[in-house]
Amino acid sequence: MNLGHPESGLGREQRFVLFPLGKKRFALPAERVSELSKPDRLQTFPHTTRLLTGVLVRRGKIIPVCDLAPVLLGSESPKRKFFLIASSQLDGHWETTAIPVSGECELISGIARHSTGRLPAYVSGLLSLADEIVQIIDLEKLVAMEGKA
Amino acid sequence: MRLSRREQGKKASAQAIAVILFHVADIKFAIDAAEVDEIRNLDGLAPLSSARAHPQLTKVKYSFQRQRTMYFAVDAGLHFGTSPATPTRIMVLRKSPVAVLVDKIDRMSELPPLRPLPAAFHGQEKKWYAGIGMRNEEVIPVVNPSAFLTKAEIMVLQRMMSVEPGNQMAAGAASA
Repeated sequence: MNLGHPESGLGREQRFVLFPLGKKRFALPAERVSELSKPDRLQTFPHTTRLLTGVLVRRGKIIPVCDLAPVLLGSESPKRKFFLIASSQLDGHWETTAIPVSGECELISGIARHSTGRLPAYVSGLLSLADEIVQIIDLEKLVAMEGKA
Repeated sequence: MRLSRREQGKKASAQAIAVILFHVADIKFAIDAAEVDEIRNLDGLAPLSSARAHPQLTKVKYSFQRQRTMYFAVDAGLHFGTSPATPTRIMVLRKSPVAVLVDKIDRMSELPPLRPLPAAFHGQEKKWYAGIGMRNEEVIPVVNPSAFLTKAEIMVLQRMMSVEPGNQMAAGAASA
C-alpha cells in the first residue's frame, strides 16, 4: 500500500474517500483508508489528548478513536453512524485511527486543487465536485495542530 | 522447539502479568500486583490541608503513618481527572511512600502481556499508564505507579510536613 503524503498528489487524478460529518462532506486520500466499520463498542479511559474519545478493539488491535467534528464543524455535534478506519503517521510510525462519521462514505476519483491561504493548514487540497467543494484533510497535520492547541 | 511441561509453565507465567483490578469513578484500572504492598481501609488517615497550596499536589488528600514512615494518599479521581470519586480503600504502593485512594478493589487477575498505549495518545496519559491490558476484547489501562507522585513531589510533601505543626516527628520518620 502506498502511504505517501496526501499533498504529493496535487494536480493529478487520485482516489479519495468522501465522508460525511453532519451536513458537510470531507475527503481523505483513499490509500489512507482501510475500511468503513459499523458502530463498535467504544471503550474509554481517562486521558488528556484532545479529539480522542476512546479506543475500539478490532481484530485484536487497539485502535484510537479520533473525533474530527469539533475541529471540522465547530460546535456542531452530528450523530455518528460509522467509523472510518484510516492510517496516519504519528511519531514516525504508521498507526490506525478510527474516525466517527455520520453516514455512508463514497469512493471517488478526482484531481486535488491547491487550497487557498485562507483555509486551515490541515486542508491539503480541494476537490471540486458537481455541486460542492470538498476539503481534503491531512490527518497528521490536523492531529498535530490540535496537540499543540 | 518442544518445551517441557515445567518450561511451558515458566513461559506462560513470564508472559502473563498478575494485576489488581480496581475502580475509580466507574472506570476499571489495573496495577501490577507486585507494585502494591497492602490494601487497607481508610482508618488512620489525616487530612493534608497544606498540600492545597501547591496546585500540582491538591490530589494528595491525606497522610498516614505506617511502619514508622509517613505515606501520602493520592486521590486517584483527581489524579486522572475523572468525575468525583468516592474512595473506600487505599492501595499502599511498595516502592515509594505513596498510597492511592480508590473507589473499589475488584480482584486479583492475570492479564496477557501489556500493549503500548497507541501513539495517538500524547498527553499526561503517557505517564499515567504502563500500558494497556486486554482481556476478552475489554481494554484495561494498567497504571504506572511512579506517576502518582514524582520523587520531587514527595520531597515537597515531606518538607511541608516537617513545618506543619505537630508533624515534626512524623516528617523525621518519613525522611529517615
